[in-house]
Amino acid sequence: LAMAIRELKVCLLGDTGVGKSSIVCRFVQDHFDHNISPTIGASFLTKTVPCGNELHKFLIWDTAGQERFHSLAPMYYRGSAAAVIVYDITKLDSFQTLKKWVKELKEHGPEDIVVAIAGNKNDLGDIREVPMKEAKEFAESIAAIFIETSARNAVNVEELFQRISKQIPPLENPDVESNDSFKITRQPASTARRCC
Amino acid sequence: MIHADPDVSGSDSDEQHDDAVRNPSCGLTNSSSNFFKLIDTFASEIGELKKEMVQTSPSLDKESVDLPRLEGGVYLQPRQCVSMGGERDSGYDSLRRRMSVLERLTQTHPVWLLLGFSEEEAMRTLLKQPAGVFLVRKSTALQRKVLSVRLEGDQSETPISHFPVRERRFSFSLEGSGISFADLFHLVAFYCISRDVLPFPLKLPEAIASAKTQKELEEVAQLGAGFWDSALCSQPRSSPHPRRPLSRTLSPKRTNRNEEVEGSRQRQTATHSDSAPPTLLPHTPPPSSHGKGSYSGGPLCFVNPLFLQTHPHSWEDDPPLGSKPEKTAELKPVGSGQSDECHGDQNKLKGKSRPPPPRPPPPRSMLRRRPTPPPPGPAQATSRPKSMPEAVITRPPSSNRRPAPPRPSTGVKSSSPSKSSTSPNPRPPRPQKPDLEALRCHIALDDETIAKALSRANLPRCQPPPATEKPSEINSECPAGRERGRQRLSDMSMSTSSSDSLEYSRSPGYSLDLAPTPSQLHQDPVEDSSEDDADGEDEEDEDYGVGLEADLETRLRPVLKSRRRRVGVSLSGGSFDLPRSLKGRFSKVSGMLSSLMTPEKRTVKRIAELSRDKSSYFGSLVQDYISFVQENRSCHTSGMDFLQTVRQFMTQMKAYLCQSSELDPPIESLIPEDQIDRVLETAMHKCVLKPLKSVIEAILQDFQVSSGALQQLRENLAVAKTKRPQEMGVDGAVPPDSVAIEKIRQKFLNMRKVYSPEKKVSLLLRVCKLIYTIMQDNSGRMYGADDFLPMLTYVVAQCNMPQLDTEIQYMMELLDPSLLQGEGGYYLTSAYGAMALIKNFQEEQAARVLSSEARNTLHQWHRRRTAQRSVPSVDDFQNFLRVALQEVGSGCTAKTLQVNPYTTIEEVCSLCAYKFKIPDPENYAMFLVDEDTSQQLAPDTHPQLIKAGLHSRPLAHTFHFVYRRVSNLNLCTPAIMQNGNCLPAE
Repeated sequence: LAMAIRELKVCLLGDTGVGKSSIVCRFVQDHFDHNISPTIGASFLTKTVPCGNELHKFLIWDTAGQERFHSLAPMYYRGSAAAVIVYDITKLDSFQTLKKWVKELKEHGPEDIVVAIAGNKNDLGDIREVPMKEAKEFAESIAAIFIETSARNAVNVEELFQRISKQIPPLENPDVESNDSFKITRQPASTARRCC
Repeated sequence: MIHADPDVSGSDSDEQHDDAVRNPSCGLTNSSSNFFKLIDTFASEIGELKKEMVQTSPSLDKESVDLPRLEGGVYLQPRQCVSMGGERDSGYDSLRRRMSVLERLTQTHPVWLLLGFSEEEAMRTLLKQPAGVFLVRKSTALQRKVLSVRLEGDQSETPISHFPVRERRFSFSLEGSGISFADLFHLVAFYCISRDVLPFPLKLPEAIASAKTQKELEEVAQLGAGFWDSALCSQPRSSPHPRRPLSRTLSPKRTNRNEEVEGSRQRQTATHSDSAPPTLLPHTPPPSSHGKGSYSGGPLCFVNPLFLQTHPHSWEDDPPLGSKPEKTAELKPVGSGQSDECHGDQNKLKGKSRPPPPRPPPPRSMLRRRPTPPPPGPAQATSRPKSMPEAVITRPPSSNRRPAPPRPSTGVKSSSPSKSSTSPNPRPPRPQKPDLEALRCHIALDDETIAKALSRANLPRCQPPPATEKPSEINSECPAGRERGRQRLSDMSMSTSSSDSLEYSRSPGYSLDLAPTPSQLHQDPVEDSSEDDADGEDEEDEDYGVGLEADLETRLRPVLKSRRRRVGVSLSGGSFDLPRSLKGRFSKVSGMLSSLMTPEKRTVKRIAELSRDKSSYFGSLVQDYISFVQENRSCHTSGMDFLQTVRQFMTQMKAYLCQSSELDPPIESLIPEDQIDRVLETAMHKCVLKPLKSVIEAILQDFQVSSGALQQLRENLAVAKTKRPQEMGVDGAVPPDSVAIEKIRQKFLNMRKVYSPEKKVSLLLRVCKLIYTIMQDNSGRMYGADDFLPMLTYVVAQCNMPQLDTEIQYMMELLDPSLLQGEGGYYLTSAYGAMALIKNFQEEQAARVLSSEARNTLHQWHRRRTAQRSVPSVDDFQNFLRVALQEVGSGCTAKTLQVNPYTTIEEVCSLCAYKFKIPDPENYAMFLVDEDTSQQLAPDTHPQLIKAGLHSRPLAHTFHFVYRRVSNLNLCTPAIMQNGNCLPAE
């Protein structure tokens, strides 16, 4: 039976260099689904995962972490079902930036946005600057998902998105959903994307 | 066309039947083996036919061999090839013989295509019917269409069975079957002939199966769902006169193999002598002398291979391309008085009202139940707070085959009187008298201004000079211009489509020959619609004469592209002459392609045609809107404000089309449900954006210039262009060199040439892809936004194209909202962001922060765009009225006014007096002028409702609202006097 696909926009926030896109690339490339046509680049990636009776298709919007692009962030996080804020456990500054993002999301973000905090590069524990306890407590204080990841070693990347998936409230009315989304169909190969 | 792919029939086995659907086990056989039986039969039949046919159509031979392969299943492609030659027809009863099952089904879909029917209703309806009778409805439990079929009467447990219909991307099929069809009509027609996964073939209701003329079918169709309760339906099947000669019938009595073979032989003979009708024989209820229900459990019926070829979509009115010899002698039917009976029955039924469907009543289902629409005036008066004049319209008695267009009152009804205040399109007040302003009627610019505007709008190449523009336009509104053809032509002269086409044909770089777009944008509209343009253009563009060139150009794009690549020459701006021989060759190829048009393309084409047909309600809405935009270029506060109204119009028209009965057959029967919105979106681009493209561009540019934004953007771009990549935030990745930048510039220039926002976005994606490729080629790593966005900003700066700003605006505001979250939306957002950074470049260098104003804009944009996802009701854009001023001896002047549904004639008259500068308005009045009559309209009547009423009439009518002197009776035709043209004011 066809299962409804639910598209979920996920926004990636965090300082430049903390490994935002590495996490997502790892997530998307592991267990690569050949039925899903690839995107043109790593700034926008998609991945579909099953969740209960639904399929969640993550539409992952990466943002540029540099200060000068901060003002554009609202365009990226508006309408997002979830935001993943990434910091580098070896860089205290990146954790401070994370706190700024949390604040901005609380003030200007979508109301029901699921916030996940990912401390990346936990393979570099020996030069850690952000204690896990501190980050975890901060996450709890804002009711956010917290997880330490290693994009390089593929640690906790799947888990991060699974936990997000679980926090997305299931749709109450499947009928409504069926209008919004589409049924899974086996896509003929001829529609596979060719690009320039 | 049938074509078997053995891999496929098994692929459906994983599909589970829903519990809610009862599948009769009786008679179910392996569908694939059945299918191969079919194929064998076809093959032998085709062989036989070839030998037997006196005159073989070459195309037929060819097609039986060159079957298009489609992945994903056996595919029955509707063909527009051979239809029966009407001119050869010399005999009685020829009409009946020419009607195939498909044709019968198509014509009578209001009877059996009852999507709003519940299971109970289906049960109630079908129980009274013999086995095999069916209807198609939408199961609320499954959220799918199901084929509800009456089973054998003695199977009392499940008298009705429901077979779910699978809708794939481009096909319809029955659950469990490997045979797919391009649309629902082909599916049902097939199952009328072959049972495949069904226990037995479907059976058409007697009245449909035995109808001999189009007219009879029309009568049946007009009853809609009411047919099932009508006398026409319950007519005893044991008619005293056999309606069909035995020689043409596959005798239902025969059930054993030998006899079946014999029957098939017999049919071949029949086929030989008459290519059309045998297909329907097995399903036509036999005359009473033959046993009833003898098909049940019978062998698999054969499909005459000619079935699909000789019966293209009857609704397309294809000219016969070829015809086969017909021998009519032995097929003499026994005449019956049936058609007379039908008339009688139908008349009896006319007053009968049907219960409303359980689901929200779409206008068309209501219409189906109303065989003859009541006179619009009085009917509306009852449903409306304000009363309507009683005899506004004189109705000619008519029996029309087309269902009446939707009652526009539906749309009007949904707009509350306060609607105008919530109009998304508040127009800035123009200098007017205060009382006029209070009416919220805004008058259009006068024609001189229009002419000026048009000449300003960059359209000089093919637009007629303003001087000629005016009279032709007036023709459409003044009584003199009654001829439809002229009216249409003049309408087209207002449209910018022609310049569009010219522009295309002059720009070889025009790249609809794109590679398919990434999946996030639906790929097919992009690919298809370019071809679709090619296919449709022949007909569409004949109105303005330049279409052929454009059409050829479209077809030749692939060639141009490969040439361009090989030679590596930039073709921008240059004109390109194609060798004639090439053109000829390609037009032939394209002719072949057009016969392979998918239902999707045909639907888009039909909608586009409808949108130009001012006698349709949809067409008049679209054309009125287009002329309003063209005439009122300066009534918006900003470019975004303007684009929003365009987007909203398209969204509303989509909603309208979904409910409208004007699309006949309904779109659900042609397009799988999950594709409908996308197809409608493509159609709206063609109907609205294509003709308006250059006007929209001009309007956007005007705003850019007048606000000073363009100047500032130019300056900032100049500064930004001098910056090195590092200064734009690029860190590490290698930027494109000047050659690549030039390539990107070309892509951006091509983007400007297309009208579809989706195609534009697909071009933007190609640019982004190119940037990624360059970045990755030089390093091998994957780049996220940290690297990409700075690089995109750098590239945009290097391209130095101020016009890119309006392009991005166009895409952001007009792109289908459902695409905004996907890849296209992402890169569009990034492009917008890059442009915003450049716009604020100098500022940014100082403050490193975007102005709060820019931030606000972003914020508003998002709110707006997400708000639009709620579907609006159909109303706001119906509010245009074209009024002609008729002066003695000086012809007509027409203006388009914005008039809401509750504006009275009195109010419109005072508006006219003001706008036409009439010194003595007391001597003027508003008249409704049509072909025969001219009636003065009472002051308290509502012109929009009158217009809506006229549009809902079954016959297309030309009519005009004319503002003229009351005493000017010499302009009235004698008919007016008889009609008592001047309605007293109440």
